[in-house]
Amino acid sequence: MKPTPEPDDVTAFFWRGAAEGTLLVLRCMVCSYLSHPPDVACARCGAVELEPTPVSGYGSVYSFTVVRQAFDPAFLREVPYVVALVELDEQPGLRVLANLVDVALDAVEIGMRVAVAFEDRGDQVVPQFRPSERPAIVS
Amino acid sequence: MNGAGREVAVVGVGFSPVTRAGSPDIRTLTLTAAHDALTDAGLVASDLDAIFEYSFGGARDDSPIAVSAQRLLGVENLTAFNDIMGTGPSGLASAMDAAMAIAAGACETALVYRTITRAAGHTGALREGPARAVGAMQFSAPYGYGGGIILAMAMKKRRRVAELGGSFEDYGQIALNARRWAALNPRAVFRDLITMDDYLASRMVADPLLLFDCDYPVNAACAAILTTADRARDLRQPAVLVDALAYGTGARPDWLYAEDFIFGGTIHCARELWRRSSLTPQDVDVAELYDGFTHITISWLEALGLCGVGEFHDWVEGGTRIGPGGRLPLNTYGGQLAAGRMHGLAFLNEAVLQLRGQCGERQVPDARAAVVANAHGPQCGAMVLRSAQ
Repeated sequence: MKPTPEPDDVTAFFWRGAAEGTLLVLRCMVCSYLSHPPDVACARCGAVELEPTPVSGYGSVYSFTVVRQAFDPAFLREVPYVVALVELDEQPGLRVLANLVDVALDAVEIGMRVAVAFEDRGDQVVPQFRPSERPAIVS
Repeated sequence: MNGAGREVAVVGVGFSPVTRAGSPDIRTLTLTAAHDALTDAGLVASDLDAIFEYSFGGARDDSPIAVSAQRLLGVENLTAFNDIMGTGPSGLASAMDAAMAIAAGACETALVYRTITRAAGHTGALREGPARAVGAMQFSAPYGYGGGIILAMAMKKRRRVAELGGSFEDYGQIALNARRWAALNPRAVFRDLITMDDYLASRMVADPLLLFDCDYPVNAACAAILTTADRARDLRQPAVLVDALAYGTGARPDWLYAEDFIFGGTIHCARELWRRSSLTPQDVDVAELYDGFTHITISWLEALGLCGVGEFHDWVEGGTRIGPGGRLPLNTYGGQLAAGRMHGLAFLNEAVLQLRGQCGERQVPDARAAVVANAHGPQCGAMVLRSAQ
């Protein structure tokens, strides 16, 4: 059985959002910096005034690995699978770790456009990413 | 050390036997290495007034705590000690903390050690994960992100080549180099040379990370004795001075979410190290740079300015630059890739032996200055060492 995320006071908003089909990160109310994974202070300025804020769920593959050797027996039947860091469009360096799903292993590359996809695991919904055609918004 | 109180020297180095099988008692390993280091220094246990050790801690039970070593060695009292947990710069952290304590006058003569077992160090092993992912694991374990930092290192290897150029074969140069030096080190566990084809054909653990990018877990203890430079003058061995040391973390320190994903804290650490040092990168005769994963070694070479950032591919000259007889001998005992994971402290011990001129077949001629670096990402540490003469 794959490990199930156990929400706590700091992360509960994230998993509630996932269950409702929204990817949420923490926005600093002082400097507007977006932080992930959730923490009790802004990763840039240290302010503790943070609020959950929805993001588009679009991003690019920052880096990835194709896992060939399982470390947890729960993933023995999954190998080979992709673990990726996705950089969300909203902010440079705003990275989310997830699996890439619905993609051929040899098609994955750095810079590949992806969109969040929510995977219902019964006891919890976890954000994943799948390939997307939508280009990055150039501001 | 510039601006850091009393001058500090490394005066003794010691090792336990290194084994690839069995489960030797960690107290015996530690005692063996500690006595070896004391003998090397010409000191006895009662000369010690400080002990610093580094361990993963917790359930892994990989190293006895400092006061256990004190009790086993029969030291009457410690004026400084610490058990440094596995979030610091690997085994080198024990020597760094001792050097700071001695420089500050908190103690005179310190034993430092890193003891590790194959079982505790085998982070790639298949083991039952937690049913419920709590804390930071909420954002990793549900995705099959296991094996310590193995997957982070795989992603850093891929990102480095994509962003800075070069090739995956560059990483192989670190692995091949380890074997070239290990062939000259009777204590190393893998003394056969490997070719680039062997490297590329090694098992794919997490594409693009190969088995030969990863170090090899062993049962071993590594120890060193540090004291003041004043005291070192009267001891058995030629003194090796701690010229500078620095920790480093970088911004937003983390293996995955750090501001600098490729280099982690190595660049910050190296910048501070050279700022404090009386030497420069051009003065380095021998480099002993952590190779728990090949990515870490390349990061340090570039961060320390031994090689330009992104220039490793050309700089390494097909491996000749860093091998025996090369212009920058690297990991001259075989590193953790070929001599086994003594987890950081063996890099210091090798630097000391090189600067004393005691490395036999693998001795770097006229080695006067060495740089030693440990770990990566959020837990970097490094030292510059120089011979006292």
